[in-house]
Amino acid sequence: MSECTTINESKRPRRGLRFYASIYRKILVQDLKSKMSYRADFVISTIGMIMTNLSGFVTFLILFKNFPSINGWDYHHMLFLYGFSLIALTPVQCFFDNNWNLRFQVQSGDFIKYCFRPINVFFYFMSEVFDVKGLGQLAFGIGTLVYAWVNIGIPVTPWVIVKLVLFLLTASLFMIAIMNAAAATCFWIIGSGYVMVIMFRFKDFAKYPSNIFHGVFRILFTFVIPIAFVAYYPSLAILESDNIPVLTWCAPALGLLFFYLSYKFWMLGVKKYDFTGS
Amino acid sequence: MENAIVMKNVCKEFKILNRHEGLKGSIRDLFSRDYKTIEAVKDVSLEIARGEIIGYLGPNGAGKSTTIKMMTGVLEPTSGEILVNGLVPYKERKKNSEHIGVVFGQRSQLWWSLPLIESFKLLRDIYMVPQKDYEEMLELYRSLVDIEPILHKPVRQMSLGQRTLSDILAAFLHNPPIVFLDEPTIGLDVSMKDKIRSLIAGLNEQKNTTVILTTHDMGDVDALCKRIVIIDEGKKIYDNDIEHLKSYFGSYRTLRMRLADDTWEERLIDESREDVMDVIMKKQKEQKIKDIQLQEISTEEVIKKIYEGGNRS
Amino acid sequence: MNMRRHLALTRAGIMESLQYRLSTAVTLFANLIYLVLVYFLWKAIYDSAGTDVVNGMTFTDTMIYLILATALFNFLEMFVVWDMSRSIQSGKIILDLLKPMKFREYTFWSYSGGHVIQFVLTFIPTFIVVMIVTHGAINMGVNLLYFIVATIFALIVNFNMEMIVATICLYTESTWGINIVKETVVLLLSGASIPLAFFPEAMRKIVDYLPFRAVYDIPLTILLQKDGTDTIKGVLPMYGLQLAWIVILTICGTLFWKHAVRKITVNGG
Repeated sequence: MSECTTINESKRPRRGLRFYASIYRKILVQDLKSKMSYRADFVISTIGMIMTNLSGFVTFLILFKNFPSINGWDYHHMLFLYGFSLIALTPVQCFFDNNWNLRFQVQSGDFIKYCFRPINVFFYFMSEVFDVKGLGQLAFGIGTLVYAWVNIGIPVTPWVIVKLVLFLLTASLFMIAIMNAAAATCFWIIGSGYVMVIMFRFKDFAKYPSNIFHGVFRILFTFVIPIAFVAYYPSLAILESDNIPVLTWCAPALGLLFFYLSYKFWMLGVKKYDFTGS
Repeated sequence: MENAIVMKNVCKEFKILNRHEGLKGSIRDLFSRDYKTIEAVKDVSLEIARGEIIGYLGPNGAGKSTTIKMMTGVLEPTSGEILVNGLVPYKERKKNSEHIGVVFGQRSQLWWSLPLIESFKLLRDIYMVPQKDYEEMLELYRSLVDIEPILHKPVRQMSLGQRTLSDILAAFLHNPPIVFLDEPTIGLDVSMKDKIRSLIAGLNEQKNTTVILTTHDMGDVDALCKRIVIIDEGKKIYDNDIEHLKSYFGSYRTLRMRLADDTWEERLIDESREDVMDVIMKKQKEQKIKDIQLQEISTEEVIKKIYEGGNRS
Repeated sequence: MNMRRHLALTRAGIMESLQYRLSTAVTLFANLIYLVLVYFLWKAIYDSAGTDVVNGMTFTDTMIYLILATALFNFLEMFVVWDMSRSIQSGKIILDLLKPMKFREYTFWSYSGGHVIQFVLTFIPTFIVVMIVTHGAINMGVNLLYFIVATIFALIVNFNMEMIVATICLYTESTWGINIVKETVVLLLSGASIPLAFFPEAMRKIVDYLPFRAVYDIPLTILLQKDGTDTIKGVLPMYGLQLAWIVILTICGTLFWKHAVRKITVNGG
């Protein structure tokens, strides 16, 4: 007889959004606690984060010292874009930073441990790292955005604030999607670390108005590698008063779509991966 | 008898690129589409009853890990059927992992920087273990092994032995009906090995947990397993009691003879082919024998013979 | 010095890079897209400026400079810092220290194979693309030879800087922080993200006294024959500067490394 008996499944509650939120919160609290014990690391990383942002500013200032405007965008509007992009890049830095470790774990075979738990592999993997340094970037971004905002003189109304929050979230989805997809390439391509590196460098171009791109490349940077959505289109919702482009209004839906596709791609990688590394 | 795991004619193939040697070969590989198929597991059928501890043995690269990866739902078999707790593992990976525990080699699955007790609490929440069951399990752990020294220690500060112990405890925490242990005693000292063996035996007895144990250490097998399955080059070559194993190749015994110069000479004798007395008599014609010992063959030696001899059915 | 042993490491490095064939293709492709980004950005910048020449650089000059800087960056990129921190964590560093070769030499030659591949796969194609797009704006004369020599010097300067930063990892676990500081500083102050010609006067003066310029700015200046480097008289002081940095950094790096290794051997890793 070769019957295999089934376990009596007692009625367990479903693992829904609330379950995942509570697990994430618990891991986060524990993680922060243990991070306190690496003070030197925290200090050096924070210095590193500040340096990156400062050097970004210096590049920006040098550029504007030589050139008064770019494609009709003046100094303050460019700063607005810059600040907007910094804030939009915070979630990917804070919550999805473990993507950078994916290729090492996949190559060494350690990745397999994420597949033995009755929870979502993507969630489990990402929950392991919360990057505090992202908060420094957030502070930088908010400072820049407020400074530019005041200098441009955009009125502050509840509707503008709602739009700002909505489109910042939208923008961040695109960057998360780009990094997920870039990281997931390591399931197929050995030594694909460079894809992530270059995608991360692409993000530096998100802070420039995307109407500088022409032809095929405008389409490429809008719909394939959507850096145009990381700052340009979403921020137009605030900067422009009347003629907001259609793509801006489509951004939230597109953001969700891109995120969903990148998630599916990532999970497909998990499924296709051979786990031969041992 | 109730079955925990059933495998029917399971095969698993991998496709890998044929690599060429040398610098020129590397450049050629850049454009090559020359793949070869490797059969890691060939037509393996297996039934494992509830509460059994199975020793799953085989030389390195025999397909042990691949089989376990298929049973845990991480890999999809190329053909054949697998049922684990009545579920098809790769189709329902999440549901399946609810009812299994896994310790994979020396890779810790615990949160590296957290104290063990915090990892336990997280696992309790992830597996939705009721608080009462969780506490009972911790009680059971305390009765089997001294967990106090490691409970509040971050995993990264533990010794290898403590880490393995922690991983095993974590694998049993949600009281799964099946636990997979992949080389749990590798690299450990004698006393730690002992501790871990008695822990596994204790948990199996108390919770009637089915344990699939892969190992290269025959001490583990002798201490824990009644039944062993041996796989070599992807094929199952032995599946029976450990007692039968010793007569697998015929009945072997080791004959030790102390010679005139006080050195011991050892010979492995297959009693189905030659007679022990004949050997002694032959030897005695050449030189004087002062002492004789006859020993049963150890599991280790049989296994060695099986690995070396390939698959003789 | 046994050259055969060193070249064996170079060869092994080349073979290892070739194993990752898909990633090689992807790298090439991703680089092209990156160059397109750079092109559009600076095209827009120059179009908005209204003049053709800014700070002595035409659009073509700036493009060539930045594109080749990117290509040089890829060519020079080493992951010494990451590799070092991983081998410290896994304890592999002890094995590396036991190799019958000085660790610094061993590391340098192990990476050299990757450099060769990167040079062939990224720098040369980029160079050819630039030549075609700019209709031969780069002078194809003896400056190419000067450039290659300067690039080899740049490679050694870069390696020394990498090693010094990697050595810091023996003291602290904060690899990410150290690496990001290094990367940011090098990219900005070497002229890889904005040509040094655009820097304000005061900043230029400071940058002139730092080693970073020896990595990107000097080879590219020589290639483009700017700053009087169109004659050997103008090139020699540049070489002098690079060599001076090589000497200084090698001495500092070696001493620092020795100190750090003593720390490992005392503390047992």
